Amino acid sequence: MSLLKRLYRWVDLRVGIGEIADKELTGYLLPRNINAWYSLGSVLLVAFAIQVVTGMLLLVYYVPDAEKAFKSVNFIMNEVPFGWLIRLCHAVGSNTMIAALILHMLSTLVMGSYKSPREMNWLSGFLLFSLVQGISLTGYLAPWSQLSFWATTVATNSVSALPVAGPWMVEFLRGGKLVGPATLGRFFALHVAFLPLVIAMVIVVHIFLLKRTGVSPPPFGRSDTATPFQPERYRYQSHPGGIPFFPNYMLEDTTSICIYLAIFLGVVFFWPSMPFTPDAFVPADPFKTPAHIKPEWYFLANYQTLKIFPNELLGLTVQGAAMTFLALLPFADRSPERHPLKRPLFLTLVVGGILLWIALTVWGHFS
Amino acid sequence: MDSEGRRKFLGVCLAGTAAAAAVAAGYPVFRYLAPRSGATGLQKLVISAADLHEGEAKFFEYGGSSAVLIKTKGGEMVALSAVCTHLGCIVQWVKEQQHFLCPCHGGQFAIDGTVLAGPPPKPLARIPVTVTGGNITIG
Ligand code: FES
Repeated sequence: MSLLKRLYRWVDLRVGIGEIADKELTGYLLPRNINAWYSLGSVLLVAFAIQVVTGMLLLVYYVPDAEKAFKSVNFIMNEVPFGWLIRLCHAVGSNTMIAALILHMLSTLVMGSYKSPREMNWLSGFLLFSLVQGISLTGYLAPWSQLSFWATTVATNSVSALPVAGPWMVEFLRGGKLVGPATLGRFFALHVAFLPLVIAMVIVVHIFLLKRTGVSPPPFGRSDTATPFQPERYRYQSHPGGIPFFPNYMLEDTTSICIYLAIFLGVVFFWPSMPFTPDAFVPADPFKTPAHIKPEWYFLANYQTLKIFPNELLGLTVQGAAMTFLALLPFADRSPERHPLKRPLFLTLVVGGILLWIALTVWGHFS
Repeated sequence: MDSEGRRKFLGVCLAGTAAAAAVAAGYPVFRYLAPRSGATGLQKLVISAADLHEGEAKFFEYGGSSAVLIKTKGGEMVALSAVCTHLGCIVQWVKEQQHFLCPCHGGQFAIDGTVLAGPPPKPLARIPVTVTGGNITIG
């Protein structure tokens, strides 16, 4: 122990880590009425870290070649010690991470934390949401199974509905007329090199913005000491008399992370088939489309929307409009009121939107 | 005083749980990355005797490493590890001189593996060979 202490003293003398810890951990005060929903950001950081680590481990045995990809994934699942565990963690982790991401966004919406002056926090978060969808889609192709192949065919095909440049863009995305080895190459590069890097950078921006503006107090529960937002100048929203991040809120973060890990590992061990349909166990065959090809659950609503609208361009436009509206929400919703019950129009929209999304997802699943 | 003891006890429990979790996560990762056992076992290898002429050498993989088989001018079969005992390069067979030359630092080995010249500290390891009919069995 004393050796550790001496090491700490040695580093502290040169870097002043004690001062940083005081400022960022014990001295970092959060609103007194902060709740568990605020810990979802930390949960997402852990989820992302798990994806990065398991992804790096999969790279040890995975071969990104159309001829060998499916075999190498089978090798990982059946031959490599604990290969099944690493692969399942990666496949299940992407699903649970997206679920946590959706909850994180919902809590931000309901508690009105996206409002001025936090528009940039919301925008960077929205960008992260889109990037995570992109990394999920590109990773889906990697195992080169029937499911990967046809889900990617359908997903990339929807771009062709765009006027003029549509067909050309599909070809550019796929690196050829059809999904093929060239598609695997570019999707693999996006999935393991480009997107993780961009996501990591946007995460840094997102956290930087959080640190600059400060945490917005929840609009309900015990009242907080915070002074209201002054629109004329930059001001860090501090919370004098609040609870320190360490150890108080760190404990809440840890609790939420443990709950997340319990659910995540529960799925990994007791419902390992969750991320897979039978088509995931058949190697890709460009000459045989399986009967019912469907995307992952988080794309089912989009998939169903495209089926409902008679015209693909119309379906895409509606989705694009919905996404744009969501992204620009802080610029449309200017009132400073943040309590959900005092915003009836907003609450109706959120509840209606969630119900619509669930309905489309269920419909898409059973159609 | 009582709360001090309680604090210590909880600390020990927490550290223990954390250590158990670290082992539970680390062990699969270690096994996942560890080299596959069994792949480098010393199985026997059979080569057809017709493949090799007198005074020639044949290189092959044996036990996960490189080895060489030579048929001497007298018709005798010699099998050796082809890994130089100096720093691990693979030796070359010099047919004209009937000896091995290591290209890395100029080590020389005789046909029976003994060091003739250069830095190698030990002779090349010998591998047992048996000839039955038309087949050469190594190992
Ligand atoms: S490695 Fe063979 S002589 Fe140095």
